[in-house]
Amino acid sequence: MNEHVSKQFDSDLDAIRAHLTRMGGMVEEQVRSALDAFAAGDRELIELVIARDRGVDEMEIAIDDACTHIVARRQPTAVDLRVVMAAGKTVTDLERIGDEAKKIAKATRKILERESRSGLTQIAEVRHMGERAAAMLHEVLDAYVRLDAAAAAAIMRLDKEVDEHFRAIARQLVTYMMEDPRTISSALDIIFIAKSVERIGDHCKNIAEDVIYIVKGRDVRHLGLEGLEREMSGE
Amino acid sequence: MSEANSQISSLPVKAEVKNFDFHYGDFHALKNVNMPLSDRKVTALIGPSGCGKSTLLRSFNRMHDLYPGTRYGGEIVLHPDRTNLLDPRVDPIEVRMRLSMVFQKPNPFPKSIYENVIYGQRVRGVKKRSVLDDKVEEALTNAALWDEVKHRLHDMAFALSGGQQQRLCIARALATDPEILLFDEPTSALDPIATASIEELIHGLKDKVTILIVTHNMQQAARVSDFTAYMYLGELIEFGYTDEIFIKPRDKRTEDYITGRFG
Amino acid sequence: MTSKSSAEVALIRINIARRKRWDLLFGLLGILALATGLLTIASLFVDMLIGGWERLHPDFFTNFPSRRAAQAGILSAWVGSVLVMIVTATVAVPLGVAAGIWLEEYAPKHWITDVIEINISNLAGVPSIIYGLLALGLFVYTFGLGQSVQTAGLTLALLILPVVIVATREAIRAIPQMIREAAYALGATQWQAVKDHIVPYSLPGILTGVILGLSRAIGETAPIITIGALTFIAFLPPPPIMEAAPYVNFDWLQAPFTVMPIQIFNWTSRPDSAFQQNAAAAGAILVAMTLTMNALAIWLRYRLRKNIKW
Repeated sequence: MNEHVSKQFDSDLDAIRAHLTRMGGMVEEQVRSALDAFAAGDRELIELVIARDRGVDEMEIAIDDACTHIVARRQPTAVDLRVVMAAGKTVTDLERIGDEAKKIAKATRKILERESRSGLTQIAEVRHMGERAAAMLHEVLDAYVRLDAAAAAAIMRLDKEVDEHFRAIARQLVTYMMEDPRTISSALDIIFIAKSVERIGDHCKNIAEDVIYIVKGRDVRHLGLEGLEREMSGE
Repeated sequence: MSEANSQISSLPVKAEVKNFDFHYGDFHALKNVNMPLSDRKVTALIGPSGCGKSTLLRSFNRMHDLYPGTRYGGEIVLHPDRTNLLDPRVDPIEVRMRLSMVFQKPNPFPKSIYENVIYGQRVRGVKKRSVLDDKVEEALTNAALWDEVKHRLHDMAFALSGGQQQRLCIARALATDPEILLFDEPTSALDPIATASIEELIHGLKDKVTILIVTHNMQQAARVSDFTAYMYLGELIEFGYTDEIFIKPRDKRTEDYITGRFG
Repeated sequence: MTSKSSAEVALIRINIARRKRWDLLFGLLGILALATGLLTIASLFVDMLIGGWERLHPDFFTNFPSRRAAQAGILSAWVGSVLVMIVTATVAVPLGVAAGIWLEEYAPKHWITDVIEINISNLAGVPSIIYGLLALGLFVYTFGLGQSVQTAGLTLALLILPVVIVATREAIRAIPQMIREAAYALGATQWQAVKDHIVPYSLPGILTGVILGLSRAIGETAPIITIGALTFIAFLPPPPIMEAAPYVNFDWLQAPFTVMPIQIFNWTSRPDSAFQQNAAAAGAILVAMTLTMNALAIWLRYRLRKNIKW
């Protein structure tokens, strides 16, 4: 895309994009760290994740502020308008992902305090789901940078699998809890962590919707997978 | 064709530009323009300097006939009677009696406010005082100027401020009950507040008369029009609902112009 | 490139002072040039006034010329001037204004139109005696109009015609194109645009041109002599208004006549110094008449231009 006649406008838009990318990187790092901490029971890492979430929140505020300024000063239109409007939404989703990472860390801390890391196989399952979600996040951030609508659509389809995975884990853990009430506390902790991961997947889907909006100008929220296919194939 | 275009063509149409060409001597200024003008809606023409938008506007009321060396091609068909405004057999005066124009700089005549507004009627030979008085009040009211001047109708028009003078010119154009009102960059010589009041006025007039407006200020087109046409180097690049053009234009050239990537 | 030190500011001030000296110089030169012209004219006028002062009493205006200087007056001369001016204006204004309007509004872009334009400008520079010769051959002999008021009027009308045409054209050109377009956009025909807009708005300029033309004509001597104005007339042309029907009489057009410049010329060529006094007095009056006409032009222009803002 060629440059604006106003270089200032270009650099303002680039700044938003750069900030978003950096925030995405931070959040991705948070998710991976939280999952690693959960897998290894690393107390230091847990505290680090919780402390770093503050930085993510600060970025959210800074980027929203920059978007407001650009609207006030530049009255952006067409693709610029879509980029700015989408940035506001993406920032929120990223911040929530950061929150989920923090929740995972906190839940892990609780499990460690209880020292009841029983040999629940679901831990491995959750780790597996976590990898999927982390991969989704990585790919959606990539799709955002490259403004690749097709890659974004692919990620949206992936989210269904993550949801399925969560439901399977939840079913298994419910069965465990019914069989052995002593496992309820730990099982619940794990369900919460799995839920956080599932939510991370949902937020990635939202970010993918934003990418499609920027590129195609189509709002594909709430359309369902069939609606999505139609939108992507039409036009 | 997308659903937007089929939606547009189902709206009542006041005029159609068909295969319209225009030459200034040898220079081919407008090339094969096709465009509908929806009835009682505001259509805006935007584009960089020299794109031909004013040339297109001034062809509607045969202004180019006043100057030698100009040549029209194609048609501009007025509905419902299907008259081709560009037909050499149609007297330009007839066209100008059906369409009115407001110009870039406010250009009231050096006469009184009253005489300015009813000049169009005088030209037609209307003499009856009561008829003229009514017309003056109606036109000035529609131009949102009546309250400000009703007690000084016989003052000179130049005593008014720039924004008031332009509203006077709008009243003058309305007094002839035009079928289409043509605006040629009507606010480019006015300050922001006067500009806003003229835009408000256009919004109010929309239900009564079809409006075609040329503007070099994109934001104005976005604020004021229902439909926008983007022109470049004499061609109509894109035409559509204003919302679509400003949120998701179909043509990259339109997007480049609108976002200021025009270099 | 931000703020300037006080040394730099001082330099700027020196620079300005140096450049302003030229302002002062040219201002002084301009005033000098103006003063030279004004003083020369003023001194000539005052000289004439002083010279003819004794003669300036009401009798001077109501007496006919006479062989006795003290009793000689300018009655026939100033009446003749006025009558000739009336004919000149009546002929030159409609012709000149119509020609100007036609050239500006109606004439097609054609090489013939260009030729006409060039020739009109050239006509303004033709020596006035040529007009006199033309008039002699055409009006006096070919048309048989005689050595009369009407011939003089027609001759001077031809003389000032280019001035009126050019003034009309310049006044019309000053009207912005957008005003014309506004009139046409409202459905006016060409005649309506000319009648309702072009003529009224160019009137100040036209009037100015007419009056300036007339104030030149009033002082023209050579063509009037050529067509045979008499130098010693002790009678007035017949009055235009009568008591009996048809109440208006045009005989005065064919009457012999004289004008102010000729009377002055006649008196200056007499050896008797007393007549020089007469000549001076008449000269002062002629200058006063011319100045009055110019003042009238300026005042009219001011009044009529007040409503026009472009």
